[in-house]
Order: sequence, then structure tokens, then C-alpha cells
Amino acid sequence: MREHLGLAGGFLGQVRARPDAPALVWQGEEVSYRALYEAAGRERERLALLGLAPAEPVGVLAPKSPATIALVLACVLTGRPFLLPSPALADAQLADLFAQAGCRAVLAPQGTAERVLPDSGVASQPVPDGTTFMLTTSGSTGLPKIVPLGAAAVDRFTAWAGPAFGIGPGTGVLNHAPLNFDLCLLDVWTTLAHGGHVVLVDPDRGVRGGHLLGLLESGTVHVVQAVPMVHALVADAARRAGVRRLPAVRHLMVTGDAVPQRVLVQLPGLFPNARLHNIYGCTETNDSFVHEIDRDAVHRPVPIGRPVPGAAALVVDADGAVVEGPGAGELYVSTPFQSPGYLDRTRHRGAFTGHPAALRPAGEAPADGADSGADGGSDAGSDPEQADGAHVGADGGADAARAWFRTGDLVRRDAEGRLHLTGRRDHQVKVRGVAVNTAEVERVLLGHPAVLEAGVTARPDPLTGRSLVARVRRRPGAALNSLQLKQHCALGLPKAAVPSALTVVDGPLPKTSTGKVDRTALGRLSELPTAEGRTS
Amino acid sequence: MSHIETIKQFIVEEFLPDVTPQQLADDHDLLSDGVIDSLGVLKLIAWVEERFGLAVDDTDLDPDNFRSAASIDAFVAAAPQRVGSQPCTR
Repeated sequence: MREHLGLAGGFLGQVRARPDAPALVWQGEEVSYRALYEAAGRERERLALLGLAPAEPVGVLAPKSPATIALVLACVLTGRPFLLPSPALADAQLADLFAQAGCRAVLAPQGTAERVLPDSGVASQPVPDGTTFMLTTSGSTGLPKIVPLGAAAVDRFTAWAGPAFGIGPGTGVLNHAPLNFDLCLLDVWTTLAHGGHVVLVDPDRGVRGGHLLGLLESGTVHVVQAVPMVHALVADAARRAGVRRLPAVRHLMVTGDAVPQRVLVQLPGLFPNARLHNIYGCTETNDSFVHEIDRDAVHRPVPIGRPVPGAAALVVDADGAVVEGPGAGELYVSTPFQSPGYLDRTRHRGAFTGHPAALRPAGEAPADGADSGADGGSDAGSDPEQADGAHVGADGGADAARAWFRTGDLVRRDAEGRLHLTGRRDHQVKVRGVAVNTAEVERVLLGHPAVLEAGVTARPDPLTGRSLVARVRRRPGAALNSLQLKQHCALGLPKAAVPSALTVVDGPLPKTSTGKVDRTALGRLSELPTAEGRTS
Repeated sequence: MSHIETIKQFIVEEFLPDVTPQQLADDHDLLSDGVIDSLGVLKLIAWVEERFGLAVDDTDLDPDNFRSAASIDAFVAAAPQRVGSQPCTR
């Protein structure tokens, strides 16, 4: 097998060997490797005129389009680090993030992003050598954390993912996720590194099941990776339209959240020729586990399975001891694709650590509180200095001294050694693939001057898996309503963290015996019939 | 004829149960402040199709068509009615 050249080398190889092959499909139009390379070349020229230092980072703020992909490629091909945050973040958050990453220029295709300038009052953090993509954590936990990825880590990812999911010349790969999601490492960047074509879903039509189904029916899509909601939309649309089979799909990957059984049982029939995979990953570590779902056993709960080649996992119990064999605890992960750590080192603590067993004695030292508050982490006193040298993975790998990433996910290891997700150690929930910290949403609600009490919880949603519900007690005499509160939330939170159901009441919220707002009771209250729950 | 009151009535019932239609400005931007997310837009489209007997196809899915009660009203006014379908009268 020829050695894989990584993202930049792989893409350039395709431009030379197959210039007229399609690289992207966007709104029904094909963009060839040659056209994409030329568009990236124009962006390179424009970048060169900005007078930036050689590895000086830039910001990229633009919705998904071939032009945005060309701009990202211009950065990749010139070895320039770039921060690619979600355009759905609030302007003030974006300004802070761009400043933190040291971006003097924030670019959009063929121009500058007019929406936001770096906040001159925020100190920039040093960007590690060899950084390419800088993504952000999806959480609503205050300011998102910047996750730098090394070019070598991205190249290791594309080298793994291409063969793992049969992506090569002529392979069509659906891309539903926004470009700032780490899922794009697979469906956009691995595809371009291996000569496939990316079928880009227009974000404006991303929740139209009929539109998604149409893309799959065209027969040009062979690999589909998406969050469970997308698979639910496709399955529902197929049933409505009487479409029984989508035979062109060869690999179907579910990721970002647990798959609802209702969706899972429909997949083998609808995709008769597809291997089904459940992928677990975090922005910090990228894809870490893959479980191939038995097509004949979709009625059983799906585990996250086993680590991908070169990755390692630990289950750590509440006392900080590593659990061997069957048992439960928190999941620690280390992968060949992972970030060296958050750009803001003060937020690094407790998330990227040395081997938990080696840290155990240090766990008795009092935590200094650097990781308290928004991060919600019960930091066991891990020393960030140890993070850089404590762990040598059993696999060796290219990084001999990889840190462990503490995921915050609680897992159970079964007798066969497979891991199953059981919950979170903090207040984090996933809403449509975005990690949302309900405690942070409560803090934002409580920041409104007319709010006395606030409780936020997640409730099951038949389509999206989970939606946020909030109950707020207003101050006596206040004329506060849900419209004003949603506006207030939108100023300080990403869209996914704005509760979809928001109830304003005048009486006290239900409390637990310790006087805290009882979120379980809130979840039950939200199930009472209201105008919100009506279906049209 | 303007359907703006009907549209506002639906929006508050569906997304802002404690708000009256009068409290919602005709041009209030429903998308930018999270009143309606992308799935909410789907719900809205399904309702517009049913209530006004319109076929909203993918080419009409510009979110600006659904940004405010006024823009939905303008979209409804400009859209040709689906043949053979009558607005329901609930």
C-alpha cells in the first residue's frame, strides 16, 4: 500500500492525478479538484498580501460553502494555523476567541468577515508549533475552549479514516455537520485527502428530511456520517415517500450521541448494503472508538465498542483507581489524533492529564480551584506538568508521551470488554450534537434582572433525541415573558443552548431536600400538556 | 388580505405560550434570538403549507422567508396556491 501523504499531500496528489474528478458537490453543482485548487490558490494570494508572519494564525468565519473550503485549504496548504469557530456563537464570544488565538485577521471567502473583530482587550495565547485546525468545544460552558490540532495528528486521522470507511477515488461522502465540527475531519477532509467527493448539505435545508433523502437517492453518496437526528430525518422521510431501500450507501456512521432504538431498527432495511458503525469521539481527541453494529442485532443497546487502532482507553472509578475488567467509571481516552491541549492552559487542568494511576498520590492534594465553576470538573488535583510526560501508550504510536483526556463521560465495561455510555459526571447534555451545560444555561437565565429562580433540564425528544426545557420564577410584579428571556439567552449562549421550551411562573420551583432546584421534577412538569407540546 | 394576526397567533401558541400576539412585533426577528430554531422553522413550514394550502419547496427555504411574522405573511401572499387544496378553517 502506498504511504498516505496526509491532508495537504493527499489533496495535491489528487489535483495532479485527477484534476477533473469532482471534489465537492454543492447545490447540485460539481466542483472539480482543479477548480477547488485554483480557488484555494486565489485565497493563498490574498493571504500573502496580508503581510502576516509565517505561522501567524488567522480566523475563518463563514458558513459552509465551496468557497469557505477553498479558504481553509489555502491555510492548510501554507501551514498557517486557523481558528474555525461556529458562526452560531455570539459576537462577543467570537471576538474573545479570535483574540485569544492571536488572530489579527478574521477572514471570509474573498474578503474579511465583517461581523466581528478580535477583542483588543483579550491577551493572546501561544499556538503550539505545527498547529493547523483550531476548533472550539461545542459546550455552552462559558466561553468555548479552543482546541488546536497538529497537522501531524490530522494526517494520522486521514490516514486511518480513509481505508477504515472505504473512502477513495470516486467515493461520495455526505457532509451534514457544520465545518467547525470535528466530524468534518472525516467527511470533508479525509475525503479530499483520498480523492472522493464531498456531497455538502446546505445548512439551510439540513433539517428537511426530503432534501436529505433526495441526496441519498441520487446514488452518488456511498458514505454517510451524521448525528442520530439526521438518520431519523432520513428514515422518516423515506417512510413517508415510500422509499424502501438506499442501496448505494456502503458505510453508515452514527456519531455525536446515543442512537435512539426507534431509528436504529430502521437502518438495516433502508441501507441493505451498508456496514453500520457507531463512532465515539470528542473534539479534543477526535474519533476514539468505533463499534460495528451487528445488522441482525439492532434491537440491543449499542456499545461505543473498542478504541480505534493506536488509541487507548481507561475506566477510572470515583476513587481515581483504574478499573480493570468489567466495571463502571469515568472514561479517559488517548488517541493518535488528539489535541496537545486547550489553547488556554488555565482551562487545560483536569482535562488533559497524566495517567490517572500515576496521579493518584497527587489526588490527595487540595485542588486550587483553577478548574472550578463553569468547567464543573471535580478536579482530582492532577498536575498539568505531568500531562506532558506521563503516559506512553501501549501502542507506542507517533506520540510517545501522549496525555490522557478526561472525557466526563461515565461508562460501563461489559464482560466482553466493550464500553457502554451511561451518563455524564457534570451537568452536560447533548442537544443535536452540541454539548450543553445546563448549569451554565441556568446561570445565564439567573443573570436576567427579573429572574428569581431558574431550572434547566433535558427531556427526551422523539426526533432530536433531547431538547432543553427551562422553568423560571420571575420577581413579583415583573412582566417578564418567554420572548424576552429567549432574547436574553441568545445574547449569551449559542443557539442550541437556548431552551426550546421556556415556562415563566410566579410561584416557587420544586426543590430537592437540600434546597436545590429539582431538575427531575422539572422534567416531569414539562411533560404536562401545554401549548408548547401541541403538535400541528 | 393580511394573515399576520393568524401567523402571530400560531407562533405564540407554538413557541411562546405565555406571550400574547400583541406582544410580538410584526417584524420581530424570530431566528436570531432563538425563538425558532431550524426544527421550529420546519414546524412553521408544515403549518404554513397546511393552513394556507401552499407547497413550500426546497427553493423557498431561504430562512429570510420565515424570519418574522411580516416576512411569512409576505411569503404567503406571494406564493401561488397549490391546485386543488383549500385553506383549512380551524
